[in-house]
Amino acid sequence: MSAEPLWRRRDRRWAVVFLAPQLLGLLVFLVGPLGFAIVLSFMEWDGLGDTTWVGLDNFRALLTDPGFGRAVWNTVKIGLITVPGGLVLALLLALALHGVRGRTAYRVIYFLPVVTSSVAVSVIWQMILGGGSDGILNGTVQDLFGVTLPSWLEDPTWVVPAIAVVTIWSSLGLNVVIFLAGLATIPANLIEAARIDGAGPWQTLRSVILPLLSPTVFFTLVVSVISSFQAFDLIYVLVNPDHNEGAQTIVYKVYQQGFREFRFGLSSAAALILLVLTLVVTAVQFKAQKRFVHYES
Amino acid sequence: MSTLKRRTALLAVATALCVSACSGTNGAAGDGQDGKVTLRWATWGPAEDMAVFKAFTDYFTKKYPNITLKLEPVASYEDYHPKLLTQLTSKTAPDVFYVGDDYIGKLVADGVLAPLDAQLAGPQSKSRPTDFFEGIYGGAKKAGVTYGVPNDTNPEVLWFDKKALAEAGITDDPAALNEAGRWTMATYLEMNAKLKAAGKYGSIFWNWYGANYSLVNGFGGKVWEGGKFVAPSDPKARQALKTLADGYRDKTFASADLLPEGNGPSTQFIKHKAGFYAGGRWVIEGIDKGGDRPNYDIVPFPSESGQPIQGAVAASYLTINKDSKHAKEAFTFLTEFVSKEGQQLRLKGGSAVPSVKGAESLVTDGKYPAHAQTFLDVRDKGFANYPDEVAVPGLTKAVNDHLMKIWEGKVGFDEGMTQLQTLVDGLKGRKS
Repeated sequence: MSAEPLWRRRDRRWAVVFLAPQLLGLLVFLVGPLGFAIVLSFMEWDGLGDTTWVGLDNFRALLTDPGFGRAVWNTVKIGLITVPGGLVLALLLALALHGVRGRTAYRVIYFLPVVTSSVAVSVIWQMILGGGSDGILNGTVQDLFGVTLPSWLEDPTWVVPAIAVVTIWSSLGLNVVIFLAGLATIPANLIEAARIDGAGPWQTLRSVILPLLSPTVFFTLVVSVISSFQAFDLIYVLVNPDHNEGAQTIVYKVYQQGFREFRFGLSSAAALILLVLTLVVTAVQFKAQKRFVHYES
Repeated sequence: MSTLKRRTALLAVATALCVSACSGTNGAAGDGQDGKVTLRWATWGPAEDMAVFKAFTDYFTKKYPNITLKLEPVASYEDYHPKLLTQLTSKTAPDVFYVGDDYIGKLVADGVLAPLDAQLAGPQSKSRPTDFFEGIYGGAKKAGVTYGVPNDTNPEVLWFDKKALAEAGITDDPAALNEAGRWTMATYLEMNAKLKAAGKYGSIFWNWYGANYSLVNGFGGKVWEGGKFVAPSDPKARQALKTLADGYRDKTFASADLLPEGNGPSTQFIKHKAGFYAGGRWVIEGIDKGGDRPNYDIVPFPSESGQPIQGAVAASYLTINKDSKHAKEAFTFLTEFVSKEGQQLRLKGGSAVPSVKGAESLVTDGKYPAHAQTFLDVRDKGFANYPDEVAVPGLTKAVNDHLMKIWEGKVGFDEGMTQLQTLVDGLKGRKS
């Protein structure tokens, strides 16, 4: 067996050199903090003093804390509304825009909320959904019909649906663009063939378009679920979960315990629970995809 | 130069640039070649509030031309301490910074603040440690060592609406009763009952330690004793909290936190919908938005006997970073900032009450409210939040959040008190 040629060894060295900045970034900003968080989750640390090993105490404390349970449930509720709601709406819009003249302009319009700062989005929606007659929506309805609507952002019953509406609105453009890209990859001759065979619009959608679009649906599903689990900034500004338990999510708890209460061990444990939860749900989705995702061979 | 060598050289330059760009700008960044020092200091508040520091900054920089002040504000109080914590952890915190009364205990315990006693008593100091009232040091003092000086204060008092009281058939003036030593809890609660009977709120309170613990003190109760949270078990404290809980439920009292945004406590108060409104000097701003100034006056929280009690005083502290590379300049700033002259410059036209002796004219010169002296009386005898409570970050908020559940009737009173004890013991018991 001959030794590896010199040029190949040199190429490999250069590959390492060019990959080094990325790998360094990965190590410093991802692997390092993740490892640190895992170690911290078994410790008590206030960010300034000494660390103390506490074993599984942090996890025990979280799993028996009704407040954390409520945050998990809130996170799940937000996901249950935003993921299916957002995907169905985005798919319908993408289907409506597909093949329409000037769809680039529509794409830009739908994409605008995605590139808008989440703080700006939250402040605008605060003005719209604000309680009492100060809110644009409530004030208008009150003036026109004399009907008093709930305080969307304060009422524990309505705060999750309100968050879901804003989340769907702000992420709709991204999903529409992804679906439009997926629709563009479907060969026109297949749709044409289905029509010649007598398939109506609904049958074409169900039997041709959706199966061929299923990898895109799967991708957006996985990304949307992960995003919904990580929901924080938009909710933090929109609702101020400090004063509304109905809006407290897992990431809020991570922030609260770490940076408000200086309990970094507990905070890291909560972050790890979120990581495990996300991994499990994603794994289930990957397992389930075999049943509904159709990959063209 | 070969292509490869040129590439290598370029890569080295790029790496060097990247490393220098990514490196921190810790303390020494402010040192100029000409002996000038840039002093970083931090506080919280929206941009428009920062204007109050302009007069002081101008005065300071004129007096100390070798020190340039760099203010690093954080818009919200809630986000200020998390940022400060990360800066302290990464050794990039400002030289001088504000600390809220609910976080001071923790930062003192963690040893990140410079002790100030020697300098405060030294020749450079513009005010003596005793120029600040003992009770308002709160958690800024530990084992006799001072780690922070109160910037300014806001004593919690009861504002009252003369018209609302008259409409409820109340003829006694609470301020006059107080001057006569007859401002008792029984009288106050009786007035509240009459106000409620007249279709008004008796009192509006914000749900915070200032109002809650002032009322506990008024009943003669104890909140903390010997390092232990005793409010749920101390009979008089429990009676005070039960009075509050019952009052919220039968609408004798209203929680300002729960009133709708467009019809908040200030609006209710200027519309004569409530007899009393617990708050600081800042209530004046609300009255000025449509209220009739002479109709309102203030009185301290009542006591069982009619004699003055320790009322709560909201305070914040100015502290020096133990790791500051400009300790001397940092103290110069601190002592000027909290001195009588410094407070006069900062607080003129504002709604705070000075924390230092000698600047009382800021409160009394305007002759409003009629009993403005009450602010100073409460400050002089009052207390900032208990050191035991502020030693645990988030504890005060946890207590307030739990009390709110009781006020709202989400938890029964007895059950709520048991839960409160467990909650506080749990948070107090842990190390971090």
